[in-house]
Amino acid sequence: MTDLFLAYESLFAFVGINGLLALSVYATLCCGQLSLANAGFMAIGAYTGALITLRAPGVPFIAALAASALAPALIAVPLGLPVLRLRGVFLAIATVGFGEVVRLFFVNWDYTNGALGLVAIPQRTHLWTIALALALALYVLGRLRGSRTGYALEAIREDETAARTMGIYTTGHKLAMLVLGAALAGLAGGLEAHHTFMVAPGGFAFGRVVDMLVQAVVGGTAAFYGPVVGAAFLTVLPEVLREAGARLGLAPGPFRLFLNGAILLAVILYLPNGLVSLPARFRRRARGMA
Amino acid sequence: MGQQALNGVFVGSIYALFAVGYTLVFGVLDILNLAHAAVFTLAAFIALALVDAHLPLWLALPLAVAAAGLIGIVLERLAFRPLRGRADSNISGLISSLAMATVFEAIALQIFGPDISRFPQGTFPDRMIRIGGASASLLQLCIVGTSVVLMAVLTLLLARTRLGRQIRAVAESPRAARILGVNVDRAIAMAFFLSSALGGAAGVLFGLAFNSISPDVGRSVELKGLAVIILGGMGSVPGAVVAGFALGLIEVFTVAHLGSSFRDAVSFAVLFLVLIARPRGLFGRAAAREA
Amino acid sequence: MSLARRWPLPLVLLLTAVACKEQGAQGPAAAGGGGAVIGAALSLTGPAASYGAQQRAGIQAALDDVNQGGGVKLTPLIEDDASTKEQGITVFQKFINRDKVSAIIGPTLSNTASAADPLAQQAKVPVLGISNTAATGITDIGNYIWRDSLTEAQVIPGAFKKAKEKLQFNTAGVLYGNDDVFTKAGYDVMQKALADQGVKVVGTQTFAKPDRDYNAQLTALIAAKPDVLVVSALADNAASIVAQARQRGWTGPILGGNGFNSPAFIKNAGAAAEGVMVGTSWNSLSQDPANQKFLAAMKKAGVNPDQFSAQAYTGVIILAEAIRQSGGKTGREDIEAGLGKLKDLETPLGKFSFTPGRDAQHEPSVQQVKDGKFQIVQ
Repeated sequence: MTDLFLAYESLFAFVGINGLLALSVYATLCCGQLSLANAGFMAIGAYTGALITLRAPGVPFIAALAASALAPALIAVPLGLPVLRLRGVFLAIATVGFGEVVRLFFVNWDYTNGALGLVAIPQRTHLWTIALALALALYVLGRLRGSRTGYALEAIREDETAARTMGIYTTGHKLAMLVLGAALAGLAGGLEAHHTFMVAPGGFAFGRVVDMLVQAVVGGTAAFYGPVVGAAFLTVLPEVLREAGARLGLAPGPFRLFLNGAILLAVILYLPNGLVSLPARFRRRARGMA
Repeated sequence: MGQQALNGVFVGSIYALFAVGYTLVFGVLDILNLAHAAVFTLAAFIALALVDAHLPLWLALPLAVAAAGLIGIVLERLAFRPLRGRADSNISGLISSLAMATVFEAIALQIFGPDISRFPQGTFPDRMIRIGGASASLLQLCIVGTSVVLMAVLTLLLARTRLGRQIRAVAESPRAARILGVNVDRAIAMAFFLSSALGGAAGVLFGLAFNSISPDVGRSVELKGLAVIILGGMGSVPGAVVAGFALGLIEVFTVAHLGSSFRDAVSFAVLFLVLIARPRGLFGRAAAREA
Repeated sequence: MSLARRWPLPLVLLLTAVACKEQGAQGPAAAGGGGAVIGAALSLTGPAASYGAQQRAGIQAALDDVNQGGGVKLTPLIEDDASTKEQGITVFQKFINRDKVSAIIGPTLSNTASAADPLAQQAKVPVLGISNTAATGITDIGNYIWRDSLTEAQVIPGAFKKAKEKLQFNTAGVLYGNDDVFTKAGYDVMQKALADQGVKVVGTQTFAKPDRDYNAQLTALIAAKPDVLVVSALADNAASIVAQARQRGWTGPILGGNGFNSPAFIKNAGAAAEGVMVGTSWNSLSQDPANQKFLAAMKKAGVNPDQFSAQAYTGVIILAEAIRQSGGKTGREDIEAGLGKLKDLETPLGKFSFTPGRDAQHEPSVQQVKDGKFQIVQ
């Protein structure tokens, strides 16, 4: 039994980290902003944490983690002020651009060995560290839901102009959520760096933030824990598919990729509110039959 | 100097052709079609497969382009039409196009494998031409020429034909267009056909130009394409053309004077500057700001 | 509002996943007849997929040869690490804790290795890298980590020295891929080797792996009028770079790193490959019986032999020999001990031994393309 646990320990760890990342995207989604900068924020957090641990070994882990969360949060402010004025797809593109610039920065920075990245980072993250961080994030976002701030965010999501006329400080709220998302992504980055022993720019490409977005949406943004459900589902799925593929005798690789895409398509078309809306659907159907 | 300018025009023509399709769909549907790069890739592979099946090049290329257009229609039907009318169609459209892109990539990977595939030697005559002090291959010149012709055809189509007017009407306002009797579904499908055909043409030309086709070949153009359509203005075809060439030249001169490490960063710097200073780009009309 | 009631779906999925695995469990990995189960973590999808495919071919060819030879029996378990460190870690954990392999071959990328190898070190499972070329951060992880892939640091200095003797150059223009560990590590070594040889670098340009257009960089480098072009790139980029360089009018010599070492390079660069000089860890022309056997096996499988498949094939041969060295015993400690005893093994890479640091040690060579084929430069 312990062997089984050991075999999947890292899977649980990745579920937790991806959960944090999905929540970081959700933070901006819940006020209607599609920000795709989080791979960049994650990179900043990961490198900050790793550099502290490697160059200043006496610093306690919790301080390094705090720095991982703080650094991208600080950068989010000058990024957000000009960029949050843009609507919809333009904001998305601007933030994608930011993420790429961050990645290119690290690819070209010799201090961190460019593409080779930083290696031999002592493994200080444990499953309970990740669980704790995730619980904290869920608590914060959960409390937000029913609160005045939460209602303000919903108002902004529904109709930003109307919200502003009602007196809601839209820029401040949007910026706050961007900063929160950045902090969460940075924290996840710091945790991951200390779990996988290394950090390199290749792990923060455009595809990474796309994964985060997909997990948040597939899980469902109707509930604050939806993104975590999505992260769990989509992190475990490749492993399930790996077994299925092996059982069916298919070559690993293209089959899994295909199913990933197909499942994503199915969810977005037929289950638009994500997986968390499934129980509600069943209940409605059951009631309809009664 | 002249050589670099030629290099820039060459790479710019491919960026422009790719971006034109991108911006067309955005203008019409207000959605970013992330599967565009996958169609680019598939078209290159289809052209390769046709040439391997001993079809002459002049036949294989238009067939591949037409196939790409058809893929676009399938894409629209499967991934975009069911989402129309949904409140969050921006994001869900993005994601469903992403899903389709993944599916397309998996298909390409399964059929052609991960290795680089190439056109057989001698598919295109290998001749160098001197222009002033610079040299270009016959292939490069043909590619620039073809790109320009295709973009001109599209512009004419949009400006002069009935279909073009219908597409522009839908881009302006789908509801008004429907009231005026335009078959909105068909216009959108045709817009996708054109967009994907052009994206596919870009892929085929790219494949011929660099003779190095792999399932991830769309990735290098994908993000540049975003910079181009922002610079040119979302929804503006002439904008995409101008911006495509402009970006190609900017990139090349960055490499010449600053070094290639800055090349990609410059594209994104341009992207940011445009979004912050003049979000609607050079020729765009779409409202880009909230306030 | 109890969360517990809303978690059924992912819980069900997790349990299903676990259940699926339980049914497939085969207990300890003794595959009958004293065979050893070897896990191979290869990049079969993702950016490194083409190397993974070559490695898989090399491994399967070697397994056929080894298992037919009698004595040692090896059972492979090949998994895809998707060119990412997350999948690499997951695959390693599966190998170590579920499949209970005796040893692991791979992973393909150095980045993945620096993330996954520590797990094997902790669990005391020997790992044999077959393509990790990062200078540090691989074998330093611990005494269970070995590799048969020569780092560029072991190949380039000698190759460049010989090239300078033959070609007599004083200035160089350098082009390298800065987003890939293979080529970046190669560049670091090339830079130092050029400095050591007293060669002045008149221009340095970079490219990214997905790039296909190098005209701008090449034009800029050629304009600086170097004596020689030095390129650190992998085979596919290399072929296009060399072709485009000739098109832009470069007639001078071109020096390449390990990545050029593939028949695919010559095939795709065509006439442009003529005269290109390459420092390589695999002498494709070697007449040694071990190499000839490898070439024959690859021909039978219909796969182009290259450095990746050669090193993968050698990896399996090495593991078989390690088992032989420990008297045919196939436990993890036995293989670890066997690897330590291995010396002067005949492999497609030449006579192979491990350095005290568990890195690869064999004679590198310098090759030049002449008449469309690689020839050894004496």
